Amino acid sequence: MTEPKLSIVDLTKRYAADLDPAVDRLNMEVEEGHLVALLGPSGCGKTTTLRMVAGLMDPTAGSIVVDGKEITHTPVNKRGMGMVFQSYALFPHMNVEQNVAFGLEMRQVSKAEQKARVAAALDMVQLGHLGKRQTKELSGGQQQRIALARALVVEPTLLLLDEPLSNLDAKLRETMRTEIRSIQQRTRATTLFVTHDQDEALDMADRIAVMNGGLIEQFGSPTEVYERPRTHFVANFIGQANFLAARVGAETGRANLAGESYYKVDVDGLGRFGAIGSAGLSGSSHELVIRPHRLNVSLHPGAAQAPLAGTIERVSYTGDALAVAVRVGDQQLHAQMLTSSGDLPRIGDAAYLSWAADDAYLLPAAAQPGRLAA
Amino acid sequence: MSSANASSAKVFKPRFNPAKPAFGALVFLLYLFLLAPLLIVFVVSFASNQYLSFPPEGITLKWYEMLPQESTFMEGMKVSLIVAVIVTLIVLALGVPAALALDRFEFKAKAAVQSFFLSPLLIPSIVLALGMVLLFGPLELNNTYAGIIIGHVAITIPFVIRTTLMSLATTDTSCEAAARILGADSWTVFRRVTLPIIQPGVIAGGVIAFIVSFDEAVISLFVAESGLPTLPVQVLRYVENSADAAVAALSVILILISLAVVVVVERVMGLRKALR
Repeated sequence: MTEPKLSIVDLTKRYAADLDPAVDRLNMEVEEGHLVALLGPSGCGKTTTLRMVAGLMDPTAGSIVVDGKEITHTPVNKRGMGMVFQSYALFPHMNVEQNVAFGLEMRQVSKAEQKARVAAALDMVQLGHLGKRQTKELSGGQQQRIALARALVVEPTLLLLDEPLSNLDAKLRETMRTEIRSIQQRTRATTLFVTHDQDEALDMADRIAVMNGGLIEQFGSPTEVYERPRTHFVANFIGQANFLAARVGAETGRANLAGESYYKVDVDGLGRFGAIGSAGLSGSSHELVIRPHRLNVSLHPGAAQAPLAGTIERVSYTGDALAVAVRVGDQQLHAQMLTSSGDLPRIGDAAYLSWAADDAYLLPAAAQPGRLAA
Repeated sequence: MSSANASSAKVFKPRFNPAKPAFGALVFLLYLFLLAPLLIVFVVSFASNQYLSFPPEGITLKWYEMLPQESTFMEGMKVSLIVAVIVTLIVLALGVPAALALDRFEFKAKAAVQSFFLSPLLIPSIVLALGMVLLFGPLELNNTYAGIIIGHVAITIPFVIRTTLMSLATTDTSCEAAARILGADSWTVFRRVTLPIIQPGVIAGGVIAFIVSFDEAVISLFVAESGLPTLPVQVLRYVENSADAAVAALSVILILISLAVVVVVERVMGLRKALR
């Protein structure tokens, strides 16, 4: 494997000796040209990590290596990075061109070259015609693009994005998502992207680091973290999930192409079902994760094998789908049904749930008592 | 539809409200009350009365013609201008970094430092002046520029700190972080980003400091009455000894100078923005 563009080794940040660390021995490697999302709830340490990589904050311990060179204690202004802030942080007293040119000026690039590179950067974000405008006159989306141009024009070693989309309205956010991603892919800028929005992370990132309590719970591709969550937290944070406590029986002897085994599992009080998981889980308790849209709901018994019978407790109509909550024993399971002109379920109706063994995934971490939640 | 809207718009057209002109008249009277002393000074400065009095008996420009010959005024004006300019520069050089430190850093004695800097606003200036005379005696600072300037710096620094802090409170610190990441060292960040952003507060503080220093009488009177009288001190002395309207003419000139400062600052960068 080629050398990673960025390696973070045992990075730790403690704000005060008596507090839990905000970032706790974090390790991560980022490949050249990748966009990595640091995803997690507020307070998970994602912004702290980004600020330490940027050099805006000193780590308590650990090291940051870029292009094989340790930069843990390199001053901010010598790191050659580009950063886009949540508030955009455009210089209010400079016009658009002056904002974009600032980094080049600091690098003592000649005036002529500055002009050409600023123009190219503004064209890249499709704002070439606004160079002389004051930043105040621009919309949020335009300011965001200027901030991106200003960060990219210096050809930064790393592009750092700190919740860049959270100040935009929903529609614009979607557009900017696509645009930032396509610009990032064109420039091949290795990017760290802090977000609390799982959709953004799934949509834009090559790799997602799901963070919680200062730790990376899982680092993987969007498909991996969604389909094969390593922990309860990851399964719960990314997308919706149903969790069932399961006693894992013997392996069936079958395995899929990825080398995962099929098991028979006992779900407390509900019965015996098929599931898939990594090898060697037999005999212990694990949590079963089933995504709502992978749960088949039928209003008639006998449509599927070994269906779980329950009662519909809640129906919410979202246009193209129906989200239903079904009470089965002492659990409430969430499922999705496609809307059709046929019979629509009503609260109190009987419902029959089933799933394919491939869609019931056993979390590799052993189930913890009291951590069951949907 | 549209005709219905038009007619309903007519119905809601505001009718004559007698409270409006009454309120206007009240505001006018208030302004008149506040400005009356200025207006009287203005009128008196053109009056031919032998002594400072109202109403005028005739119109003359002789008081204005007298001013350039009145060497005490010219001397006082020179002292006051020198003091005010130096005080403004010093107070900006001290106050702006102090405000930055108070805004950006957390330190133990922060609250104490803050109240220390703002305390001259709360202490009667006569008390300060008395203290300064006693302190400056052994230091041989009485009747010197240094003495007056130190005194004026003490009473004007709260204004600069206040206005700068207000500007800092509304700035986005990410701008400075962005500049640093783009390669600027701390001095460049201050010069190219922080200072331009807080400029309105700095200028407002500077203008206030200049006017307060130029106008200050109590400390100047105590510290340097005999040796280095400032313009306000000269005016006090003049009124004690003579009772003609030259002082009124001088006052009008001073008002015009202040007005000129305000107009220039307003034109250059918008005082309303600066004092916001």
